[in-house]
Amino acid sequence: MTENYSTALQTIINEFKNITPEITNTFIFNKNCEIKASTETVTENQSRKLINAFNDFADHAETIGGVDTLTIQGANSQLSITSMNNYFLVNVSSRSADEKIVEMLTRVIVPTVVKLVDQIPELSGNELSQAKNPEVKPVEEIVLPDKQATQSEPVTAIPEMSASFSSEPILPEPPVNQFMIEKIGGLLVPCDIVRIDSEVIAKWHDIYGDKEITQVHIETLEGKAIMCGFKPIKEASNNGKGIIQFPEKVMQALQTSKGKLVIVKPVITRQGEKSAEAKNKRKHN
Amino acid sequence: MLKQKTSANTTETVFTDQVVITAVDDENSAFARLSASLAEIRKLKGVLGYILRSNTSATLDFDEPEKITENAILSSRIHDSCQEITKQFNLGQTESVLVEGENVKVLCMSIGENNISVFMEKNATHSGIIKRILI
Repeated sequence: MTENYSTALQTIINEFKNITPEITNTFIFNKNCEIKASTETVTENQSRKLINAFNDFADHAETIGGVDTLTIQGANSQLSITSMNNYFLVNVSSRSADEKIVEMLTRVIVPTVVKLVDQIPELSGNELSQAKNPEVKPVEEIVLPDKQATQSEPVTAIPEMSASFSSEPILPEPPVNQFMIEKIGGLLVPCDIVRIDSEVIAKWHDIYGDKEITQVHIETLEGKAIMCGFKPIKEASNNGKGIIQFPEKVMQALQTSKGKLVIVKPVITRQGEKSAEAKNKRKHN
Repeated sequence: MLKQKTSANTTETVFTDQVVITAVDDENSAFARLSASLAEIRKLKGVLGYILRSNTSATLDFDEPEKITENAILSSRIHDSCQEITKQFNLGQTESVLVEGENVKVLCMSIGENNISVFMEKNATHSGIIKRILI
Protein backbone atom coordinates (compact mmCIF):
# COMPACT_ATOMS: atom_id res chain seq x y z
CA MET A 1 0.00 0.00 0.00
CA THR A 2 1.45 3.34 -0.99
CA GLU A 3 1.44 6.49 1.12
CA ASN A 4 -1.11 8.00 -1.26
CA TYR A 5 -3.35 5.01 -0.74
CA SER A 6 -3.17 5.49 3.04
CA THR A 7 -3.94 9.18 2.65
CA ALA A 8 -6.97 8.36 0.53
CA LEU A 9 -8.29 5.97 3.19
CA GLN A 10 -7.56 8.51 5.90
CA THR A 11 -9.55 11.13 4.00
CA ILE A 12 -12.51 8.80 3.67
CA ILE A 13 -12.64 7.85 7.33
CA ASN A 14 -12.21 11.48 8.40
CA GLU A 15 -15.41 12.21 6.48
CA PHE A 16 -17.35 9.59 8.46
CA LYS A 17 -17.77 11.95 11.36
CA ASN A 18 -19.27 14.58 9.05
CA ILE A 19 -21.72 12.11 7.59
CA THR A 20 -22.78 10.58 10.90
CA PRO A 21 -21.60 12.31 14.09
CA GLU A 22 -22.59 9.17 16.01
CA ILE A 23 -19.53 7.43 14.57
CA THR A 24 -16.91 7.75 17.29
CA ASN A 25 -13.92 5.65 16.21
CA THR A 26 -12.77 4.31 12.87
CA PHE A 27 -9.56 2.70 11.74
CA ILE A 28 -8.23 0.41 9.02
CA PHE A 29 -5.63 -2.29 9.46
CA ASN A 30 -4.19 -4.84 7.09
CA LYS A 31 -3.51 -8.56 7.35
CA ASN A 32 0.00 -7.78 8.65
CA CYS A 33 -1.66 -5.97 11.56
CA GLU A 34 -0.41 -2.58 10.35
CA ILE A 35 -2.75 0.34 10.97
CA LYS A 36 -3.19 2.17 7.67
CA ALA A 37 -5.63 4.91 8.65
CA SER A 38 -7.23 5.94 11.89
CA THR A 39 -9.32 8.66 13.45
CA GLU A 40 -7.61 10.65 16.21
CA THR A 41 -10.00 9.18 18.78
CA VAL A 42 -8.47 5.71 18.55
CA THR A 43 -5.45 5.10 20.74
CA GLU A 44 -2.58 2.84 19.74
CA ASN A 45 -3.31 0.60 22.71
CA GLN A 46 -6.98 0.21 21.78
CA SER A 47 -6.25 -0.67 18.18
CA ARG A 48 -3.47 -3.12 19.10
CA LYS A 49 -5.67 -4.95 21.58
CA LEU A 50 -8.55 -5.11 19.12
CA ILE A 51 -6.33 -6.50 16.36
CA ASN A 52 -4.93 -9.16 18.71
CA ALA A 53 -8.38 -10.14 19.92
CA PHE A 54 -9.72 -10.24 16.37
CA ASN A 55 -6.85 -12.38 15.10
CA ASP A 56 -7.31 -14.69 18.06
CA PHE A 57 -10.67 -15.93 16.80
CA ALA A 58 -10.22 -15.18 13.07
CA ASP A 59 -7.47 -17.80 13.04
CA HIS A 60 -10.08 -20.40 14.01
CA ALA A 61 -12.81 -19.20 11.65
CA GLU A 62 -12.04 -21.57 8.78
CA THR A 63 -15.01 -23.65 9.79
CA ILE A 64 -17.36 -20.79 8.76
CA GLY A 65 -15.30 -19.72 5.74
CA GLY A 66 -13.20 -16.99 7.37
CA VAL A 67 -14.48 -13.72 8.79
CA ASP A 68 -16.28 -11.33 6.47
CA THR A 69 -17.79 -9.16 9.19
CA LEU A 70 -18.01 -8.98 12.95
CA THR A 71 -20.68 -6.93 14.66
CA ILE A 72 -20.80 -6.39 18.41
CA GLN A 73 -23.94 -4.78 19.76
CA GLY A 74 -23.20 -3.28 23.15
CA ALA A 75 -25.65 -1.52 25.46
CA ASN A 76 -24.29 1.93 24.48
CA SER A 77 -22.35 1.44 21.29
CA GLN A 78 -21.82 -0.96 18.46
CA LEU A 79 -18.60 -2.05 16.80
CA SER A 80 -18.15 -3.59 13.41
CA ILE A 81 -15.16 -5.05 11.62
CA THR A 82 -15.53 -5.46 7.87
CA SER A 83 -13.11 -7.41 5.75
CA MET A 84 -12.08 -5.68 2.50
CA ASN A 85 -9.65 -7.77 0.44
CA ASN A 86 -6.48 -7.56 2.54
CA TYR A 87 -7.76 -4.85 4.87
CA PHE A 88 -10.18 -4.60 7.77
CA LEU A 89 -12.30 -1.58 8.56
CA VAL A 90 -13.17 -1.10 12.23
CA ASN A 91 -16.01 1.23 13.05
CA VAL A 92 -17.48 2.18 16.42
CA SER A 93 -20.71 4.12 16.62
CA SER A 94 -23.37 4.90 19.14
CA ARG A 95 -26.52 2.77 19.08
CA SER A 96 -28.48 5.87 18.07
CA ALA A 97 -26.63 6.07 14.74
CA ASP A 98 -28.67 5.45 11.62
CA GLU A 99 -28.04 1.77 11.00
CA LYS A 100 -28.54 2.07 7.26
CA ILE A 101 -26.01 4.88 6.88
CA VAL A 102 -23.42 3.11 9.01
CA GLU A 103 -23.94 -0.10 7.07
CA MET A 104 -23.73 1.75 3.75
CA LEU A 105 -20.44 3.37 4.77
CA THR A 106 -18.79 0.31 6.26
CA ARG A 107 -20.13 -2.39 4.01
CA VAL A 108 -20.52 -0.64 0.68
CA ILE A 109 -18.68 2.64 0.22
CA VAL A 110 -15.29 2.00 1.83
CA PRO A 111 -14.99 -1.62 0.57
CA THR A 112 -15.90 -0.42 -2.93
CA VAL A 113 -13.29 2.36 -2.82
CA VAL A 114 -10.64 -0.09 -1.60
CA LYS A 115 -11.59 -2.55 -4.34
CA LEU A 116 -11.42 0.13 -7.01
CA VAL A 117 -8.10 1.51 -5.82
CA ASP A 118 -6.71 -2.03 -5.74
CA GLN A 119 -7.64 -2.48 -9.37
CA ILE A 120 -5.64 0.56 -10.47
CA PRO A 121 -2.13 -0.67 -11.17
CA GLU A 122 0.48 1.27 -9.30
CA LEU A 123 2.58 3.40 -11.66
CA SER A 124 6.10 4.37 -10.85
CA GLY A 125 7.01 8.04 -11.07
CA ASN A 126 8.66 7.56 -14.47
CA GLU A 127 5.74 5.61 -15.89
CA LEU A 128 3.37 8.23 -14.55
CA SER A 129 5.20 11.08 -16.27
CA GLN A 130 5.20 9.10 -19.52
CA ALA A 131 1.49 8.53 -19.19
CA LYS A 132 0.94 12.24 -18.64
CA ASN A 133 3.14 13.28 -21.61
CA PRO A 134 2.75 10.63 -24.29
CA GLU A 135 5.64 10.80 -26.69
CA VAL A 136 4.51 11.79 -30.17
CA LYS A 137 7.05 11.21 -32.89
CA PRO A 138 7.21 14.18 -35.20
CA VAL A 139 6.09 12.98 -38.57
CA GLU A 140 8.61 15.24 -40.28
CA GLU A 141 11.29 12.85 -39.09
CA ILE A 142 9.63 10.01 -40.91
CA VAL A 143 8.20 11.67 -43.98
CA LEU A 144 10.92 12.92 -46.27
CA PRO A 145 10.49 16.43 -47.67
CA ASP A 146 9.17 16.41 -51.18
CA LYS A 147 8.92 19.15 -53.73
CA GLN A 148 5.20 18.64 -53.97
CA ALA A 149 4.86 18.80 -50.23
CA THR A 150 5.89 22.43 -50.17
CA GLN A 151 2.92 23.33 -52.30
CA SER A 152 0.37 21.94 -49.95
CA GLU A 153 -0.38 21.69 -46.23
CA PRO A 154 2.63 20.23 -44.41
CA VAL A 155 2.19 17.05 -42.40
CA THR A 156 2.74 18.00 -38.77
CA ALA A 157 3.04 16.21 -35.51
CA ILE A 158 0.12 16.41 -33.12
CA PRO A 159 0.63 19.37 -30.79
CA GLU A 160 0.73 18.62 -27.10
CA MET A 161 -2.53 18.97 -25.28
CA SER A 162 -2.76 22.24 -23.43
CA ALA A 163 -4.40 22.46 -20.05
CA SER A 164 -5.22 26.15 -20.47
CA PHE A 165 -8.80 27.31 -20.76
CA SER A 166 -10.15 30.04 -22.96
CA SER A 167 -13.37 31.95 -23.17
CA GLU A 168 -14.14 30.54 -26.63
CA PRO A 169 -17.61 29.15 -27.13
CA ILE A 170 -17.61 25.40 -26.71
CA LEU A 171 -17.50 23.69 -30.08
CA PRO A 172 -19.20 20.36 -30.64
CA GLU A 173 -16.96 17.32 -30.28
CA PRO A 174 -15.38 16.45 -33.65
CA PRO A 175 -17.22 13.54 -35.24
CA VAL A 176 -15.12 10.40 -35.41
CA ASN A 177 -15.17 8.31 -38.57
CA GLN A 178 -13.58 4.98 -39.27
CA PHE A 179 -12.24 4.29 -42.75
CA MET A 180 -10.43 1.53 -44.56
CA ILE A 181 -7.13 2.50 -46.15
CA GLU A 182 -6.75 2.50 -49.90
CA LYS A 183 -3.49 3.41 -51.52
CA ILE A 184 -3.16 6.20 -54.06
CA GLY A 185 -0.13 7.03 -56.12
CA GLY A 186 1.01 8.90 -59.18
CA LEU A 187 3.11 11.88 -60.05
CA LEU A 188 0.46 14.47 -59.28
CA VAL A 189 -0.49 13.00 -55.93
CA PRO A 190 0.83 15.10 -53.00
CA CYS A 191 2.64 12.85 -50.57
CA ASP A 192 1.06 14.34 -47.44
CA ILE A 193 -2.55 14.82 -48.47
CA VAL A 194 -5.11 12.14 -47.80
CA ARG A 195 -8.36 11.89 -49.69
CA ILE A 196 -11.62 11.55 -47.79
CA ASP A 197 -15.21 10.82 -48.77
CA SER A 198 -16.75 14.11 -49.92
CA GLU A 199 -20.02 13.35 -48.10
CA VAL A 200 -18.11 13.11 -44.83
CA ILE A 201 -16.37 16.43 -45.50
CA ALA A 202 -19.75 18.02 -46.26
CA LYS A 203 -21.08 16.77 -42.92
CA TRP A 204 -18.12 18.34 -41.09
CA HIS A 205 -18.87 21.67 -42.75
CA ASP A 206 -22.51 21.35 -41.72
CA ILE A 207 -21.47 20.90 -38.10
CA TYR A 208 -18.84 23.64 -37.92
CA GLY A 209 -20.39 26.17 -40.31
CA ASP A 210 -17.86 28.74 -41.45
CA LYS A 211 -14.97 27.27 -39.48
CA GLU A 212 -12.28 26.28 -41.89
CA ILE A 213 -11.13 22.70 -41.63
CA THR A 214 -7.73 22.25 -43.18
CA GLN A 215 -6.41 19.19 -41.41
CA VAL A 216 -7.55 15.86 -40.14
CA HIS A 217 -6.35 13.77 -37.22
CA ILE A 218 -5.72 10.18 -38.27
CA GLU A 219 -5.09 7.41 -35.79
CA THR A 220 -4.44 3.76 -36.43
CA LEU A 221 -5.88 1.02 -34.23
CA GLU A 222 -2.34 0.49 -32.95
CA GLY A 223 -2.29 4.03 -31.59
CA LYS A 224 -0.05 5.77 -34.18
CA ALA A 225 -1.41 9.20 -35.00
CA ILE A 226 -0.67 12.11 -37.33
CA MET A 227 -2.33 15.28 -38.52
CA CYS A 228 -2.26 16.09 -42.19
CA GLY A 229 -4.08 17.94 -44.94
CA PHE A 230 -6.94 16.37 -46.84
CA LYS A 231 -8.95 16.65 -50.04
CA PRO A 232 -12.13 14.98 -51.20
CA ILE A 233 -11.88 11.73 -53.12
CA LYS A 234 -11.90 12.54 -56.84
CA GLU A 235 -13.71 9.52 -58.20
CA ALA A 236 -17.43 9.71 -57.42
CA SER A 237 -17.60 5.91 -57.50
CA ASN A 238 -15.26 5.72 -54.48
CA ASN A 239 -17.48 7.93 -52.33
CA GLY A 240 -19.77 6.30 -49.79
CA LYS A 241 -17.59 3.20 -49.58
CA GLY A 242 -16.02 4.02 -46.24
CA ILE A 243 -12.51 4.31 -47.62
CA ILE A 244 -9.71 6.81 -47.16
CA GLN A 245 -6.98 7.17 -49.74
CA PHE A 246 -3.42 7.36 -48.43
CA PRO A 247 -0.26 8.22 -50.34
CA GLU A 248 2.73 5.99 -49.62
CA LYS A 249 4.43 8.51 -47.30
CA VAL A 250 1.44 8.80 -44.97
CA MET A 251 1.17 5.04 -44.81
CA GLN A 252 4.83 4.85 -43.85
CA ALA A 253 4.38 7.55 -41.24
CA LEU A 254 1.53 5.61 -39.64
CA GLN A 255 3.28 2.29 -40.17
CA THR A 256 0.13 0.90 -41.67
CA SER A 257 -0.94 -0.65 -44.96
CA LYS A 258 -3.78 -0.99 -47.42
CA GLY A 259 -6.96 -2.56 -46.06
CA LYS A 260 -6.33 -1.56 -42.44
CA LEU A 261 -8.69 0.63 -40.46
CA VAL A 262 -8.00 4.15 -39.24
CA ILE A 263 -9.97 6.61 -37.12
CA VAL A 264 -10.31 10.07 -38.64
CA LYS A 265 -11.64 13.30 -37.17
CA PRO A 266 -11.46 16.89 -38.36
CA VAL A 267 -9.10 19.29 -36.62
CA ILE A 268 -10.90 22.42 -35.53
CA THR A 269 -8.41 25.12 -34.60
CA ARG A 270 -8.59 28.75 -33.62
CA GLN A 271 -6.33 29.41 -36.60
CA GLY A 272 -8.85 27.81 -38.91
CA GLU A 273 -11.52 30.03 -37.47
CA LYS A 274 -9.42 33.17 -37.98
CA SER A 275 -8.60 32.37 -41.57
CA ALA A 276 -12.29 31.79 -42.23
CA GLU A 277 -13.05 35.21 -40.78
CA ALA A 278 -10.35 36.78 -42.98
CA LYS A 279 -11.85 35.10 -46.02
CA ASN A 280 -15.27 36.47 -45.11
CA LYS A 281 -13.84 39.98 -44.73
CA ARG A 282 -12.19 39.79 -48.12
CA LYS A 283 -15.50 38.70 -49.62
CA HIS A 284 -17.29 41.70 -48.07
CA ASN A 285 -14.63 44.11 -49.30
CA MET B 1 -25.17 -39.51 17.08
CA LEU B 2 -24.35 -39.31 20.74
CA LYS B 3 -26.53 -37.75 23.35
CA GLN B 4 -24.91 -37.13 26.70
CA LYS B 5 -26.51 -35.71 29.81
CA THR B 6 -24.37 -34.76 32.79
CA SER B 7 -25.23 -33.48 36.24
CA ALA B 8 -23.23 -33.13 39.42
CA ASN B 9 -24.09 -36.69 40.45
CA THR B 10 -24.98 -38.66 37.31
CA THR B 11 -23.65 -39.13 33.81
CA GLU B 12 -25.81 -40.79 31.20
CA THR B 13 -24.87 -41.51 27.60
CA VAL B 14 -27.48 -42.47 25.04
CA PHE B 15 -26.92 -43.25 21.37
CA THR B 16 -29.64 -41.83 19.17
CA ASP B 17 -29.97 -41.00 15.47
CA GLN B 18 -28.54 -37.50 16.10
CA VAL B 19 -25.14 -36.43 17.34
CA VAL B 20 -25.85 -34.42 20.44
CA ILE B 21 -23.62 -34.02 23.44
CA THR B 22 -25.56 -32.57 26.32
CA ALA B 23 -24.48 -31.57 29.75
CA VAL B 24 -27.15 -30.20 32.02
CA ASP B 25 -26.77 -28.64 35.43
CA ASP B 26 -30.15 -29.21 37.05
CA GLU B 27 -29.63 -26.34 39.44
CA ASN B 28 -29.26 -23.87 36.67
CA SER B 29 -32.82 -23.08 35.66
CA ALA B 30 -31.68 -20.38 33.24
CA PHE B 31 -29.56 -22.96 31.52
CA ALA B 32 -32.54 -25.33 31.27
CA ARG B 33 -34.78 -22.59 29.92
CA LEU B 34 -32.19 -21.54 27.32
CA SER B 35 -31.60 -25.15 26.41
CA ALA B 36 -35.31 -25.55 25.67
CA SER B 37 -35.39 -22.35 23.63
CA LEU B 38 -32.36 -23.39 21.60
CA ALA B 39 -33.86 -26.83 20.96
CA GLU B 40 -36.80 -25.02 19.35
CA ILE B 41 -34.52 -22.59 17.47
CA ARG B 42 -32.57 -25.60 16.22
CA LYS B 43 -35.64 -26.69 14.26
CA LEU B 44 -35.76 -23.42 12.30
CA LYS B 45 -34.79 -23.52 8.65
CA GLY B 46 -31.18 -22.46 8.10
CA VAL B 47 -30.02 -23.16 11.68
CA LEU B 48 -27.04 -25.53 11.51
CA GLY B 49 -26.48 -26.05 15.20
CA TYR B 50 -25.83 -24.40 18.52
CA ILE B 51 -23.66 -24.40 21.60
CA LEU B 52 -24.92 -23.50 25.05
CA ARG B 53 -22.24 -23.34 27.70
CA SER B 54 -22.28 -22.41 31.38
CA ASN B 55 -19.49 -22.66 33.93
CA THR B 56 -20.36 -26.27 34.64
CA SER B 57 -22.31 -27.61 31.67
CA ALA B 58 -22.58 -27.49 27.92
CA THR B 59 -25.07 -28.49 25.23
CA LEU B 60 -23.98 -28.90 21.64
CA ASP B 61 -26.14 -29.87 18.70
CA PHE B 62 -24.87 -29.76 15.12
CA ASP B 63 -25.81 -31.15 11.73
CA GLU B 64 -22.19 -32.05 11.09
CA PRO B 65 -20.72 -33.82 14.14
CA GLU B 66 -17.20 -33.69 12.68
CA LYS B 67 -17.28 -29.92 13.06
CA ILE B 68 -18.25 -29.91 16.73
CA THR B 69 -14.72 -29.40 18.03
CA GLU B 70 -13.85 -26.68 15.54
CA ASN B 71 -17.13 -24.88 16.19
CA ALA B 72 -16.67 -25.15 19.97
CA ILE B 73 -13.18 -23.64 19.78
CA LEU B 74 -14.37 -20.84 17.50
CA SER B 75 -17.34 -20.11 19.76
CA SER B 76 -15.13 -19.92 22.83
CA ARG B 77 -12.64 -17.62 21.09
CA ILE B 78 -15.38 -15.30 19.85
CA HIS B 79 -16.80 -14.90 23.36
CA ASP B 80 -13.37 -14.20 24.88
CA SER B 81 -12.20 -11.85 22.11
CA CYS B 82 -15.40 -9.86 22.08
CA GLN B 83 -15.22 -9.36 25.84
CA GLU B 84 -11.80 -7.78 25.35
CA ILE B 85 -12.95 -5.62 22.43
CA THR B 86 -16.06 -4.51 24.32
CA LYS B 87 -13.91 -3.50 27.28
CA GLN B 88 -11.42 -1.57 25.14
CA PHE B 89 -14.05 0.48 23.35
CA ASN B 90 -16.52 0.89 26.25
CA LEU B 91 -19.38 -0.63 24.30
CA GLY B 92 -21.31 -1.41 27.47
CA GLN B 93 -22.79 -4.79 28.24
CA THR B 94 -22.68 -6.99 25.14
CA GLU B 95 -26.12 -7.81 23.81
CA SER B 96 -25.14 -9.81 20.76
CA VAL B 97 -22.18 -10.64 18.55
CA LEU B 98 -22.56 -11.65 14.94
CA VAL B 99 -19.65 -13.12 13.02
CA GLU B 100 -20.30 -13.66 9.33
CA GLY B 101 -18.12 -16.01 7.34
CA GLU B 102 -18.31 -16.78 3.66
CA ASN B 103 -21.17 -19.26 3.98
CA VAL B 104 -22.05 -19.46 7.65
CA LYS B 105 -22.71 -16.91 10.36
CA VAL B 106 -22.51 -17.30 14.10
CA LEU B 107 -24.69 -15.44 16.56
CA CYS B 108 -23.17 -15.26 20.02
CA MET B 109 -24.94 -14.01 23.14
CA SER B 110 -24.27 -14.08 26.85
CA ILE B 111 -27.21 -14.48 29.21
CA GLY B 112 -25.94 -14.34 32.76
CA GLU B 113 -23.23 -16.96 32.99
CA ASN B 114 -24.47 -18.82 29.93
CA ASN B 115 -22.77 -18.35 26.60
CA ILE B 116 -24.80 -19.15 23.49
CA SER B 117 -23.56 -19.61 19.93
CA VAL B 118 -26.01 -20.33 17.14
CA PHE B 119 -24.51 -21.37 13.80
CA MET B 120 -26.73 -20.69 10.81
CA GLU B 121 -26.69 -20.27 7.09
CA LYS B 122 -25.70 -16.78 6.00
CA ASN B 123 -29.14 -15.95 4.63
CA ALA B 124 -30.95 -16.98 7.80
CA THR B 125 -32.56 -14.19 9.86
CA HIS B 126 -30.64 -13.79 13.09
CA SER B 127 -32.76 -10.96 14.54
CA GLY B 128 -35.67 -13.33 15.09
CA ILE B 129 -33.38 -15.75 16.89
CA ILE B 130 -32.14 -12.99 19.22
CA LYS B 131 -35.74 -12.23 20.17
CA ARG B 132 -36.52 -15.87 20.80
CA ILE B 133 -33.48 -16.26 23.04
CA LEU B 134 -34.36 -13.15 25.04
CA ILE B 135 -38.00 -14.19 25.63
